[in-house]
Amino acid sequence: MKQTFRNIPLALFTFVILLLASCSPEACFEETNAFLKASMYLQVTGKNVAPDSITLYGLTRETDKIYKRSTAVKVAKMPLNASASSCSFVIKINGVYDTITFEYSSYLHLISKECGYTFYHMIDTTLYTRNIIDTVRITSSRVTTLNEENIRIYY
Amino acid sequence: MRKTYVYIISILCLGFSMAASAQDEPPDTVVIPLKIRAGLELAGPVIYFTDKNNLSFEGYVSGDLNEKMAIFLGGGYADFKYSQYNYDYLSRGVFIKAGVDFNLLKPEINMGKYWAGIGLHYGQSIFTSETPSFEHENYWGTIASSIPLRTSWGHFLEISPGFKAELFNNFSIGWSVSLRRLIYSGTSKDLMPVSIPGFGTGGKTMSFAMNYFITINIPYRKIRVVIKKEPPEETEEVTAPQNP
Repeated sequence: MKQTFRNIPLALFTFVILLLASCSPEACFEETNAFLKASMYLQVTGKNVAPDSITLYGLTRETDKIYKRSTAVKVAKMPLNASASSCSFVIKINGVYDTITFEYSSYLHLISKECGYTFYHMIDTTLYTRNIIDTVRITSSRVTTLNEENIRIYY
Repeated sequence: MRKTYVYIISILCLGFSMAASAQDEPPDTVVIPLKIRAGLELAGPVIYFTDKNNLSFEGYVSGDLNEKMAIFLGGGYADFKYSQYNYDYLSRGVFIKAGVDFNLLKPEINMGKYWAGIGLHYGQSIFTSETPSFEHENYWGTIASSIPLRTSWGHFLEISPGFKAELFNNFSIGWSVSLRRLIYSGTSKDLMPVSIPGFGTGGKTMSFAMNYFITINIPYRKIRVVIKKEPPEETEEVTAPQNP
């Protein structure tokens, strides 16, 4: 009986160790893509207003639309190409087409052990046509997975 | 003259009886053996049996400076492999920790056998890390690449509250909780190591671990420690209400 009581702490000790060993959460719940966040601003009022409709796709990738006649888009998320130093998008705001080109550098970033690596970007220059777009202003050049505005598109 | 002898004998008897009665009271001092300890951490090797990708050995030596404080020196080795859906990671390295351990138990309770206190340690790790492959997928396609082998130095602080008890003669077991704060990972903020030996999971500035130790104790000196007696509790006298 006395021997049994002596073994209880040893058993608990082993149990706790094995329990800890078995606890290894591996799921990723974080955003893994660093999108360029473009807020849509009405030039006349200077307010963040969603256009009536917006269509967005990468230049030469017309069939693969990011937004297709979407409404209520106050902030458009634009994925940059990490294997290139620039990329262009075709944007159609309220039925009028424009093209925006971003020049940037990309670098690796570890999100977390569970989510692994992604690419962050540093915007250098924006070039755009001015059919409906009035101005494109960079507000934060660092494009990350955080929910931070990078550019403002005044239309 | 006879009365004088009787008086002297009475004084001596009173003296002896007081001395005898004083021996029955709790002692004012205790003898504490100061020890050098050498311990091994058990959780690392046990975890290795369930997860062959995570090998970690850790040990320590500590030497009592007095009944409350000990100098601590620890070290170990870690070999970590990790594979996630979009990347593989390898790291391997050694670490050392140095600091002080404080025993918060009173000397008359710890008696050199029990330790319940807190350790404050500074840790340094030298390790190699490598990402042999990773893939990144977005709208524009998939990029496959790798990060070559690099050597880094990590620095961290550790607070370790815990408990150790002597089970048998000069053999202790115990546990501690380690809360660690990364000071410097040895790399840029964007490419934090996934794992830092001695610190744990990288990519974060704080880490938490449970440690289980077996320890050999070698007494090297005994000291006499004065027990601080607590002042007797003052009892409030209950006074009868005064009549008007």
